[in-house]
Amino acid sequence: MSAAAEAQLPAPWRITQRRQDTPDVFTWVVTPLGDGGIRCAPGQFNMVYAYGIGEVPISIAGVDGDGALQHTIRAVGSVTRALAGLAAGTVIGLRGPYGSAWPLEAAAGGDLVIVAGGLGLAPLRQAIVQVLAQRERYGRVCILYGTRTPADVLYGGELAAWAAHRDVEFAITVDRASAGWGGEVGVVTRLVARAGFDPERTTALVCGPEIMMRFTAEALLRRGVAPAAIHVSLERNMKCAVGYCGHCQLGPHFICRDGPVLPWPRLAGLLEVPEL
Amino acid sequence: MTLRELVESQHFCRSLSPGQCDGLAASAQERHYAPGDYLLSQHAPADTFYLVLEGQVEVKLALPGQGIVTLETVGPDEAVGWSWFQPPYRCQFDARAVTAVHALAFDAERLRALMERDPVVGYAVLKTLVGTLSERVQSCRLQVLDVYAPPGGAP
Repeated sequence: MSAAAEAQLPAPWRITQRRQDTPDVFTWVVTPLGDGGIRCAPGQFNMVYAYGIGEVPISIAGVDGDGALQHTIRAVGSVTRALAGLAAGTVIGLRGPYGSAWPLEAAAGGDLVIVAGGLGLAPLRQAIVQVLAQRERYGRVCILYGTRTPADVLYGGELAAWAAHRDVEFAITVDRASAGWGGEVGVVTRLVARAGFDPERTTALVCGPEIMMRFTAEALLRRGVAPAAIHVSLERNMKCAVGYCGHCQLGPHFICRDGPVLPWPRLAGLLEVPEL
Repeated sequence: MTLRELVESQHFCRSLSPGQCDGLAASAQERHYAPGDYLLSQHAPADTFYLVLEGQVEVKLALPGQGIVTLETVGPDEAVGWSWFQPPYRCQFDARAVTAVHALAFDAERLRALMERDPVVGYAVLKTLVGTLSERVQSCRLQVLDVYAPPGGAP
């Protein structure tokens, strides 16, 4: 079998844990059957296959020490709804990892601003875990998280630990508050203006809906962060995941191969074109 | 820091002369609020323009049958209230301290008079106010878009 064909062959993985995060978002821990583990970097994604139904690109939300991976998935379409119905113990198909990673090595030595919107926290989670595990390698670290409502907040326990970390500036905001919410209300872009980082030595990692990333990038640019220091993660219609089929093409980029993490200058103007 | 220095350190004072900053400082005072205190109350006279120095303020609105809804929170270096600038000078929303708040409070009547008398001061304050309004409108648009709602057509 050619290397290209092999790259598209799903391996069997077992769902060993399943957690319901919100009414439509759940997290799996999956482990390879046999010795089929993978090496991956924060920001990359896998193609997850519900046998007989279809395949979807899912970012890698966590890498556990024993080779297990975490995937956080929102049930929004036919495939992801089928995945939502699978119980712990079920075997699924998985191939990957694919795509580019967050530039954590290049960011070392400077300040780091991590901005997540909604489910965009999932592709950033492993990066945050890695940064906090090597906290001394970075300057100031700001984690800014915005989501829809208090009921949509992901990884509640971990967020509390990040917020309590003495060397991390953590802020969370919701677009719509409900009774009992004592935190911030408003869009996540407004947190950028207040965050304590030095724009001239900052790397920004941004993930969320495209419109949120666009306005967040603009807020970061207004603060003085260099365009090339802003990295966003895009989600498109990945099918082959290896840059052959073109389903995920955005202008000159194949998001599965060139992305999903891309520096802002490579996207300049592309997110404002309705046809793309 | 003295009141005069606090006023002078505000963004809109950067383009003003010392005399103009004195004029602004004469209409200002420092205020401290405990969590739960109201800075502004709906329908009350809008007689104060606040700049938050420390702490967090929530802007709230009572909805019949739904209780009181928090529309947004405002933090350091942000303005609270602009009803003082336009007749009938009545507050449209409540503004309540979430945490302990330290704010600069400008007397609206004196500030308006100063802005009328000295257009340079008026323009500087107005630029701050328009910047605040512009940011709030943009935030409001994004909130209305409900950008985190489940996307249609996803696999």
